[in-house]
Amino acid sequence: MLEPVLHSEFLRAIPGPLIARLESLAQMRVFQPGAVLFVEGNSHPDFHVVASGHVRLDMLVPRRGRVPILTVGPGDVLAWSALVGNSIMTSTAVALEAVKTVALPGDQLRQLCEAEHEVGYHIMRQLASALSRRLLATRLQLLDLFGEHVPALEFTSNFGRPGDPEC
Amino acid sequence: MTSSPPTPPALQPLHANPWLTRTVRIADVIDEAPGVATYRLTLDGDTDPAAYSFIPGQFNMLYLPGVGESAISMSGDPTRSDGWTHTVRVAGNVTKTLAGLKRGDTLGLRGPFGAGWPVEELAGVNLIIVAGGLGMAPVRSLIYHVVHHRNRYGHVWLICGARTPEALLYRREYDLWRQHDIDVHETVDRATADWTGQIGVVTTLIDRLRLPHPKQTQLVACGPEVMMKYAAASGVRLGIAVERTWLSLERNMQCATGLCGHCQLGPEFICKDGPVLRYDHIRPYLFVEQL
Amino acid sequence: MLTLVPSPLALRFGEGSGERFYYFDKQLHMTASSPTLFFAKPQLQALFNELRGRGYCVVGPTIEQEAIVYSELQSVEELPRGWTDEQAPGQYRLKRRDDDAWFGFVVGPHSWKKYLFPPKATLLSAEKTETGWAFIPRAADSTRYALLGVRACELAAIRIQDQVFLNGPYQDPIYRERREQLFIVAVNCTQAASTCFCTSMNTGPRCERGFDLALTEIDEGFLCEIGSDLGRDVVAACSAAPATPAQLQAAETARQQAVDQMTRHMDISDLPGLLLGNLDHPRWKEVGERCLSCTNCTMVCPTCFCSSVTEVRDLNMETVERERVWDSCFNPDFSNLGGSPVRNDTASRYRQWLTHKLDSWHDQFGTSGCVGCGRCITWCPVGIDLTEEVAAIRETPTP
Repeated sequence: MLEPVLHSEFLRAIPGPLIARLESLAQMRVFQPGAVLFVEGNSHPDFHVVASGHVRLDMLVPRRGRVPILTVGPGDVLAWSALVGNSIMTSTAVALEAVKTVALPGDQLRQLCEAEHEVGYHIMRQLASALSRRLLATRLQLLDLFGEHVPALEFTSNFGRPGDPEC
Repeated sequence: MTSSPPTPPALQPLHANPWLTRTVRIADVIDEAPGVATYRLTLDGDTDPAAYSFIPGQFNMLYLPGVGESAISMSGDPTRSDGWTHTVRVAGNVTKTLAGLKRGDTLGLRGPFGAGWPVEELAGVNLIIVAGGLGMAPVRSLIYHVVHHRNRYGHVWLICGARTPEALLYRREYDLWRQHDIDVHETVDRATADWTGQIGVVTTLIDRLRLPHPKQTQLVACGPEVMMKYAAASGVRLGIAVERTWLSLERNMQCATGLCGHCQLGPEFICKDGPVLRYDHIRPYLFVEQL
Repeated sequence: MLTLVPSPLALRFGEGSGERFYYFDKQLHMTASSPTLFFAKPQLQALFNELRGRGYCVVGPTIEQEAIVYSELQSVEELPRGWTDEQAPGQYRLKRRDDDAWFGFVVGPHSWKKYLFPPKATLLSAEKTETGWAFIPRAADSTRYALLGVRACELAAIRIQDQVFLNGPYQDPIYRERREQLFIVAVNCTQAASTCFCTSMNTGPRCERGFDLALTEIDEGFLCEIGSDLGRDVVAACSAAPATPAQLQAAETARQQAVDQMTRHMDISDLPGLLLGNLDHPRWKEVGERCLSCTNCTMVCPTCFCSSVTEVRDLNMETVERERVWDSCFNPDFSNLGGSPVRNDTASRYRQWLTHKLDSWHDQFGTSGCVGCGRCITWCPVGIDLTEEVAAIRETPTP
């Protein structure tokens, strides 16, 4: 069941014998284009690793409606709140095309991590790594690097402004 | 430090007089995105085709008399001899004045200047091209070069990002590039719900790449400096050497020849030693505040 | 990359093997047939006349606005005979000497760069025609300058600017035009100001090379070393005779005085490297609090070369001239990118100036950018001393 995502960044660093502990939990899920995987504010039981296809994450903002935040693709994790949050989803996930994921029930995965700390360590380490990359990406999005330039502060120079320096 | 490109024979007079300015005429204007247009500029009269030659990544100084000059990268096909092509975004007085011109109008041009993409060094390996916003412009001339010499390069990925879908440049050409075996991925920072493409920063797309031979892969990037820094970092995490990562930087460029002092970043003159610089050479200076 | 062609300068100062650049001021080339000459002081006017007769505009030191500056001279009477300068950080005063020395001072607020790299110069012009804009290159300037009174540190500064303006992938046509025609009468310093530190920079006080003639003043007259064939030709007008051993000795004693009086020193053993390796040092913030960002240092520095280009329009907008003017990295909008400056405070601008001058310059041009003339120390309104700043950073390097 884990085969389609064994090479994902999430799983490939986990030692083989520990992977085997996850096998029995893993289930394949298939979603049609347009299908909603989970809804913001609702509970969702599974933690997913995307095997194929792309999923868009939206957040609901009053007067703006559904605002797309991020697209995740093959190898990315989805619904991490099922594992480390309280299972309440912080976005709505929509399949942009046919999507396959490997789903691991959050409750059972948590119990496994509690019972076998070595598995738990690897899972949490990989999740931390995935989330840190997600955090950096979010920060870069927040910086709005392509946004219009901030208007210049007024400076007087000894030489006036010899033509407008351009970028 | 990247060495200056050899000056094509037709343009060696620039060595003796870098202020040599030529009259060019606007041959066509294509609107690319709000505030962004592509201009093809030609010399009047019978022109030796070699007159328009340039190395991808180089730039010209476009001169609007009475207003000033602006450094604009060539965004066109370096193998064509029907003019210089520049994609320009309105950002200040010079570009605003240029935006008010139309076909047939004239302006001044000095160039080409700068160290372009190291096309010889990039050959023979896999190539990840990362472009953000208007950074797509100097990257497009590299893409044309790759397309025309496709068998010299291995696997080629293009990852381009923009603020919104409307700001993505040259989308109409993606399929042509895909036909030449370039793996094109686009992404935007923000979109409305009717956008079915990728949302997120370019680094997320870089992170997802599976590189069969990271040690034989080079990365080039052009866009906002922060984007380039993190694109390079993603490349490093994928196993790409810092000596095989190239960034196209910008600073206040006025003389374009390393003689006015404005464009310095540490010891590098961005106009002359760059704008394309090797990541390991420039990295220490990119992380110093207000350098 | 550049074809090796003997430059007019190379032809004048002699060919040498190992010539690497198009224009390069090489090692001292003194032919055996060029002994040191001597002429009496009044003969300096004959040198003057000879130069003017050959069409040179003679420029040299004279007193204006209570300072010794460089200006066009009509006769030797305009030289600051009997005057000297007292200099200290942030201080410059003229004082009467108790002798009648013609060159008994060091360097003032002007440098010779104002003639080779003029503060304002037209680059080209644009004219509107029926078919569109036409661009006309600048007209050649036929003015030929003879510099009278160039000190060793200034010879070094000219060599440095030669490297900047002539030896890179692009040359400055204005500098080249002026430089090719330049005649240099150097003068060996016989004293040092308190702000001088040329010995630390290995640029003086002795004039070694790059001049047509080099004078050393002693009581009875001028010793004259010949540095080029043209120099030899010109000095023939001065009725000079070979210098006697006594005269040679007196000149050596006079020159040694400059060395002995040098009190300021800068340790440059770890430059390049020290400043680029300490870009986050707290000293930059500290000096940034004292510095006024007034640009005096860059104006008086003989090697600073930053410039900007301005548009000079006529009322019809039919003719526009592009004018190059001196600029300074201390100007707030110097580093403007997309409308706002990269170097947004005085500390970062001071860091740029000093790091460029003493460190990056090596990477860019193969030497230090500083010649130890001390002008920046003298003319800084708050007396910032770069030798002190370097020492402070060295004392507590950032880990």
